[in-house]
Formats: sequence, C-alpha cells, structure tokens
Amino acid sequence: MFATPRPVRPSYAPHARRWLAALVLAGVAAKASALELSMWVMPVTTNAQNDIPALIAPWVKAHPGITVRVTVLDWESGWNKITAAAASRRGPDLLELGSTWMPAIAAMGGLEPLSAAQLAEVGNGTPYYPEIWKTTQVFGRQGVYGLPWYADVRAAYYRTDVFREAGVDPAQAFATWDSFHDALRKINGLTVKGKRIGALAYAGKNDWNVVHNLAPWIWNAGGDVLSADAKHSGLDSPQALRAIDFYSRLAVEGLVPSNALEKDSDILEGAWVGGEYGVIFSGPWLMRRILETPRGSVARENFDVAPYPAGPSGHATFFGGSNLAIFKGSRHKAEAWDLVKYLGGKEPQVRLSQLSSMMPARIDAANDPAWTARHPAFAKLTAIAADGRAYPPIPAWGPLETVYTKHLGQLAELTSGIGDKYSEPAMRAMVRDTVSEANKVLEEAE
Amino acid sequence: MTAVTEPGLGALASPRADAPARRRRKVDAFPYLLLAPAALMMVIVNLVPIVQGLRMSLLKLNQYTLSQFMDAPFVGLRNYRGVLLDPTNPVHSGMLGALRNTALYSLLVTACAVGIGLGVALLLNRDFPGKSLARTLLMLPWVVPTYVVGTLWGFMWQRDEGIVNHVLVDVLHVMDHKPFWLIGSNTFFAIVIPTVWRAWPVLMLVFLAALQAVPEELYEAARLDGASAWQRFRHITLPALKPVIVIQVMFQIIDNIYSYNIVAMMFGKGAGYPGEWGDLLMPLLTRQSFSYWRFGEGAAVSFVMMAVMLVFVALWMRTFRRSMTDEG
Repeated sequence: MFATPRPVRPSYAPHARRWLAALVLAGVAAKASALELSMWVMPVTTNAQNDIPALIAPWVKAHPGITVRVTVLDWESGWNKITAAAASRRGPDLLELGSTWMPAIAAMGGLEPLSAAQLAEVGNGTPYYPEIWKTTQVFGRQGVYGLPWYADVRAAYYRTDVFREAGVDPAQAFATWDSFHDALRKINGLTVKGKRIGALAYAGKNDWNVVHNLAPWIWNAGGDVLSADAKHSGLDSPQALRAIDFYSRLAVEGLVPSNALEKDSDILEGAWVGGEYGVIFSGPWLMRRILETPRGSVARENFDVAPYPAGPSGHATFFGGSNLAIFKGSRHKAEAWDLVKYLGGKEPQVRLSQLSSMMPARIDAANDPAWTARHPAFAKLTAIAADGRAYPPIPAWGPLETVYTKHLGQLAELTSGIGDKYSEPAMRAMVRDTVSEANKVLEEAE
Repeated sequence: MTAVTEPGLGALASPRADAPARRRRKVDAFPYLLLAPAALMMVIVNLVPIVQGLRMSLLKLNQYTLSQFMDAPFVGLRNYRGVLLDPTNPVHSGMLGALRNTALYSLLVTACAVGIGLGVALLLNRDFPGKSLARTLLMLPWVVPTYVVGTLWGFMWQRDEGIVNHVLVDVLHVMDHKPFWLIGSNTFFAIVIPTVWRAWPVLMLVFLAALQAVPEELYEAARLDGASAWQRFRHITLPALKPVIVIQVMFQIIDNIYSYNIVAMMFGKGAGYPGEWGDLLMPLLTRQSFSYWRFGEGAAVSFVMMAVMLVFVALWMRTFRRSMTDEG
C-alpha cells in the first residue's frame, strides 16, 4: 500500500524572505535618497523663499538623493533663533550669518571650523575681498568658520540734477570733507523739480545704521571704533571725536534736516528716491529700490554713486554682508560644506547679486559684467569696495554695537536743536558715557 | 417667662452636637482629581520657569557661558549687587531714569485711562439713539494690538508729516510751531498718550457693566431727597463702583509697569532706546539683558521686579480688602 502522498503546500517562506529583503533594501535606498539638508537664510531677496531654492537648484540637481529645506529667518528674530540653536547645539546644517554675528556664534562653539583641506579647496580665501574674509574668523584666534556670501558696501548716492542745478562738480564735492561740506551748503534748500531739497539724509536714534553710518567718518579721520587690541573702545580718540563732531555739525547746521533725525533709514531712503534729499549714504539694496521705480522717475534718471569724502586718512567705507557657515551640530557636514562651497563660487554669487542687488563677496564676481554692466553705478560700487573696511571680528561686537547705537543715537537729541543744544563738550560727555559702558562690555569678553 | 427648649430643634440647629467627637471627615478625592491636571499645568507653566529664572539670576550666564546654560558658573548674589548697586554695570546704566519714567508713566496712564473710562461709561449709561453703535465704535482702540498701536502712533507723531502736529498746528492752531514728539522730553507723552488711547475703552466697558448693576431705585430715592448729580455720583455711583475701580487700578498699574510693546514698536529699530524721557523698565531690561547678552543679571532684575510687584499687590489687596467686597 502506498501512502497517498500528501499534497505539497507551496512554501511562501522564500518569497517572504525575498520580499522582506526587497523592502529593507528599498528602505535603505529611500533613506539614502532622503538626505535632507536644513539651511537657514536671511531675506536677502524680496522673495527668498523661492529665490534661494532656485539659486541652489543646480547643486541639488548635481546631487541626486539630497534635498535642501530652506528656512527664511528675519533679521529681527533671526539672532535669537540662531543663538538659541548654537546654545542647544540643535539647528540647521548650514546657515547664513551677518558678518558681525559670525564671531559671536563661532566663539559660542556653534560653528564648525573649516579644515586645512577645505580651505585649500577655496584658495585659502584669496578669491574674496580680504576685509570680508576677515569676518569669517574670530579676532585673535586661529580658524576660519565659513565663506563670504554677499557684501554690503556703503556709498554716497546723490542726485546729479541737484548738483548740476547748484553748479557743483560731484568729483570735487566728494573729494574732501571741506568740499563735501561746501557742496551740501550749496544744494541745501534748492527747489528742484518742485521739491525743496534737504542736502543730506541720515537717521537719528531709531535706526540700526547709527554705527555703520558713523564708522567711515571715524576711519577717515584716522580713528577707529576699537583700540588696536580690540580691548577698548576707540571712540574717545581725538580723531574719532573730530569725526563725530564733523558728522554732528552737519545736522546742527541744518544740512541734515532735523525731521530726518526722527526717521529710520528705510523711510529716508524712500524719501531720497522720492526726491526730497540731495545725498544719502546707503548700501547696494538702494540700487534695487531705485531701479524698481518707473523709467523717468526723478531718482532713477538723476542719480549716481560716489565714495565717502576723503578725510585726513582716506575714504574708507563700511563693508559688511553675510557669510555661510556649517553648524556644529550638523550630522551632514560633508554635504553642507559642499553646498557652502558651491554658494561661495563665482556663478552662484553673480546670480545672487542679480536677484538681490547685494554685491558679490568674491572679487571676480564683483567684476563680472553680469553685475557691473547692469548699471554704471554697480561698477562704481565695485570700485568703492576696494576701500571697504569691516569691524574687527570680535565675539562681543553684538553687545558693543547695541551700546554704541544706544548712546550715539542720542546725538540726535543734541543736534535736533531742542532741549540741550549741541556743543563739543556735550558731545564729548556723551562719548565718555559710551566709552565707559562699551569698555565694561569688552571687559566681560576677556 | 420660661424659655422652652425643644430637644429636636436643638439637634437640628447643631447637627454635630450628638456626633462622636472623633468622627473622621470623609474626603472626596474626585474634585481634587479633576483639579490635578490644571494644577500640574500651572506648576509646569508658572512654577518651573520661576524656579529656573531664580537659578539663572544666581549664575554668570552671558554670551560666553550660554552654551553651559544651567551649568554656568554660580556667582551667588553678585548679579543682584551689580544691577542694583554698581553704577558701572551695563545693565544698571540708565535704570534710575527708567524707574522714574515707569513710575510716572504708570501713574499717569492709570489715572487717565481710569478717569476717561469712567467718564465715558457714565455718559453711555443712559439711553440715547445709536448707543450700541457708539459703544462698539469706542471699543475700536482696544481691539488694535499694542504692536500696531506703537507703529501707527510712531508715524502719527512725526513732526512734519504726522497727523498730530497737523491737527494741533494747522487745524486747531493750538500751537504756533510743530514740536518734536519722538525726540526730547516730549517722548514721554508720545508713549503715554497711545497707551491711554488703547487702555480706556476696556475700562469703560467694565465700568459700564458695573454701573448697570447699580439699582435705579437708589438714584430715584436720592432725587426725591433732592440730591444733586454730583451728590448722587459721590454717594451712590462711586461707592457702588469702588470694588471694580480698586481692582482695575491694580491691574492697570501692573500692566503699565510691565509695559513694553508700544515703546518697542515706536523706538525699536535701533538699540531700542527712546532716550532719557522715554525709557521704561521692561524695554531697558530687554535691551540691556538680551542685547548685551547678560542673562543672569537680566534674570536678577526680573526677580527684583517680580518681588516688588508681589509686595505691591499684597499691600494693595490688604489696603483695599474691604473695598473689594460688599462690606466696603
């Protein structure tokens, strides 16, 4: 008798194993392709949420399997968010940092220093403006913490028709402090295109540019905002006091209309574009504002840029901007560096300058026709940048700038002509208070 | 006459008289169970940050030690001594001026807001056509967020372009020249007036609600007795509103001492320093603690302020305890 063979039930085990293996592999592959870099940026363009992804799109295309999540912070709350991230070690993979912020975050241990090999990949910083490159480091320490991304260079924007009407040669006007002073006196109060012209616009206490506006005058007088060792304030040097006095007297004499002193830079730039002032010192973003006005508008058809009037020690201008850095807590440092390096390259910097009107931080990009040929003023900004000067990259710059802005902004209380009138002793007393508080802040840093 | 005591009634009047002396009260846990989540949340939301703040105030917590956070060096009471007694301490800088401004600001805003709120509530506490619409429209300033109030008034105070000077000088001819409001000592009024403008409508609403609870019969009786309007206000309205006024004044003072938004929005584009006459304690604390990265000292100032406010509230409640109840 033969036993009836039992029907063989098909075994699903091998199939199940194969499916499981396939699933695991798919999961691994999915995980590998889902590498996401987190990037924090500031609103460098008016539509950064779209513009920055568009800017990095070629890099993303060249790196299949990597996506980049861009978060646009704002300048007001960005600082708190970045410092909280640095303190907690939880943050993005790479981030944009204002040039004066970088030393503070680096000193907190929030940024990954670049290795010698990485530095070699970017020519040890030689493609960038040296003053901007300086801001990727911490004063008095070894190490580079990122790459310059874009630059803010300040220049005098002036109305050519107003100068013409007053019979003032702009080349002469911006040659020296004295000639600048004479030129302002000549254009002040003129009526041009139906508007009474205020010679110069600068803001008072309610503005973030108080120090940036004043610093070039101090440098050009031979002074500095800090002592050479960056341990003390430099505002009480005779040169700095001379610069502060000269700058303040422009308002006391009415060459800066007193109503400008209660406004901020943004409003004043709008008023300059609207034809109310002859001269304003501002950054490259003003180019975008001018060129966005309709053809035929007063400022667009009648403006030019010039360097700061030369003082006894030259005509330096303020040089700031933003850098890109790798966050210390990043788990994808190699990929983050690759993206930082890409954005530090010439083509992306030229492209960003077109999107934002901020000046490229690379020398070759700032001389590229795509930047310089858009308007003759862009080429002049590039030329002016040769005399750009940045603040010493000290970690305590943030608190120090608040001290300076708080006290020096109060010059408006003296120069506006109400209450205590401006006098050199009153100005010196104000500077004394500034220096005393600033030194205390710097002392803490030691 | 003999007093008769009925045992049964006595027992009713004093139910525990016959109860065993050692009878244990049965505690119902259920209500406590229901309260527990709320109590836990209160501890998490309030107590934990307060304890953490107290700890921070005893640490050298600044830019250089922030990454250590609660492990920053312990300095005991040094932060308190620094911010209160050391004139060279950056957090202390300008504190006396800010203290003076805050005291004046709180008193002035409270007095004006309560006064206007009460006055308008009295006007609205009568029937007239369009009363509901008027009440709604008068509430508008209160629904504007303080951040917006600060920004809007910042424009309105501009010397040449602002509407305030236009009305005062060009329309009403109250002044012969346009003054600065955002520079100099007028800065004080530039922050007081918008605060009052926003604060009084809600007070008006509270007072109006309280006024409507005052029995009309009292006024009718007073009228029959020949009481004047002032006498009716002084002897009927004011006592009836006293509990509400006492509480609202206390809330106003607390709110105004902690005032921040209007100053920050009006003067916050630079260092956030409105000048000698516009600086208040909270903007000073924010600027000179957060912007200067002196978090330990900032926590110390916060604690001092909190302690002062607790003392103030305790004294206020003690002084006006009777006024806050019907006994008053």
